[in-house]
Amino acid sequence: MPKTLAEMLGSPMLAVATGLGGVMGLLSFNALFCIYLERKISAWIQRRMGPMEVGFHGMLQTVADMVKLLGKQLITPKGIDKPLYHLAPLVVFAPVVAGTSLMAFSGSFALHHIDLGLVLVFTFGGFAVLGIFMAGWGSNNKYALLGAMRSVAQNISYEIPLLLSALSVVMLTTSMGRTVTVGDETVAVQGLNLFHITMVQMDRNVWFIVLQPVAAILFFIAVLAETNRAPFDIPEAESELVAGFHTEYSGMRFALFFFGEYSNMLIGCMVATTLFFGGWSGPLLPGPVWFFLKSYALMAVMMWVRWTYPRLRFDQLMRFCWMVMIPLSIVNLLVTAFFLKVF
Amino acid sequence: MLTAGLVMIVAIAAAIFAATTRNIVHAIFALAISLGAIALAFLILKSPFVAAMEVLIYIGGISVAMVFAVMLSSVGKSAPSEGMTRRLGAGFAAIAFFAGVAAVLIGADLDGLPVPETSAEAWSVQQIGRDLLDRFNVVFELLSVVLLLAILGAVTIASRNDGHDEASSGNAGAGLGARMPDEMRPGDSAASVNPASPASAAPSASDASRSEEARA
Repeated sequence: MPKTLAEMLGSPMLAVATGLGGVMGLLSFNALFCIYLERKISAWIQRRMGPMEVGFHGMLQTVADMVKLLGKQLITPKGIDKPLYHLAPLVVFAPVVAGTSLMAFSGSFALHHIDLGLVLVFTFGGFAVLGIFMAGWGSNNKYALLGAMRSVAQNISYEIPLLLSALSVVMLTTSMGRTVTVGDETVAVQGLNLFHITMVQMDRNVWFIVLQPVAAILFFIAVLAETNRAPFDIPEAESELVAGFHTEYSGMRFALFFFGEYSNMLIGCMVATTLFFGGWSGPLLPGPVWFFLKSYALMAVMMWVRWTYPRLRFDQLMRFCWMVMIPLSIVNLLVTAFFLKVF
Repeated sequence: MLTAGLVMIVAIAAAIFAATTRNIVHAIFALAISLGAIALAFLILKSPFVAAMEVLIYIGGISVAMVFAVMLSSVGKSAPSEGMTRRLGAGFAAIAFFAGVAAVLIGADLDGLPVPETSAEAWSVQQIGRDLLDRFNVVFELLSVVLLLAILGAVTIASRNDGHDEASSGNAGAGLGARMPDEMRPGDSAASVNPASPASAAPSASDASRSEEARA
């Protein structure tokens, strides 16, 4: 059983403070690292060098950019819907912190350990849409509104295959191991508990991507769409919508949206790692190292996809979701249920 | 106790704001805040599963669906101004409903109820799931009838808009395409969509009226 931070420190308040600090540190590092990674990967795919000037191979470029963003003037346009405009970056960013703290980083340590882990991750993930809509509506700009509108439509649609494909893993988890023995204690498996999902995969020596390849692919595509990544990035299609929902945001407010996007990508990859790639399990290296290695490998695949496929048109995107992804995920769920019942 | 009181004050204040404000988008977000406070109340009552569902379904689902509905509806021919009689009627209906619920609650023998189990076992997700499909199966199935009715209603409303073009109402992708403004609408798939459809003008119309709202 993983020990929670509160148990280790002996004080809930201290645990909240250190946990928040740790998660914020992780997310800040993640954003800086991912922007650098994205630039280098895109440059590599396009046979360029990418950033090279600041630091060794441009490694401090994103730090310099961050300082620039901090120093930038915050421009507040006229005619905005004040409460919505100002709250939007927070509504996008705050749930991300909560979602990250639920992750199953390792078998011996956890920030939270609750049986509802997976449900809560999706719960906090749902807030991003509201924040994006608040930004688009509050900006009083037609490009921002169009971007927000596309984003809401896309997020609602792709949430269905996302949840359905995760559900097939939950079914598998509860059916494969009623109890799991870790070390010298035996736990009753809860299908929605992120730690238990990993433990069942360790116990059976199999990654769920082997047993659920369709669900894994559907999940990954849905994560791409939920995080507004290319080829599903029409909410911020630069060529037609200026910058989409964050057109009217500048300085740190804009940076918070960016933070939110990269953090959501990380959460998506971490959940995919837990569900399909055996979480923290792996030989030699300690658990958290494996967990982050797998997560960032998935992240690199996301970037690879972005610089490989062109952006979809809006109706293609919707048709793909409703005509391909949702029927496939329902069929996958039914087939999984059938096999679990028969065998 | 203090926390619970604060949470309930937030829930009620946000609900009153949602019911009284003229700005439909503010109303939706106020409702979301109110629902979030109710989720917190469930958390205080030690029902994390219900709290999570409250947020997942009502904030993540229903509020977002409302936002979606606002964006797809044409604000140009907005709601008719409510007369005094309608307001009074609505007020009476609300008071009657509240009085009915209050009467039932006051009349009920709450002390005679069995003490609810507070162990973690009794409220595990597995137990809730088992109860839903076992003890409360009939209620569960009745709820799905409600959902079915909602789907049927949505299909009816959608097919009334362009009844002669059944292809676009049955197909969610094309249906959304039909509601896109002209500059976003792709050429080939729009061929099956009636270009004179009133819904296609909705986003730009709502944009214009929205800027007035924001200034008000």
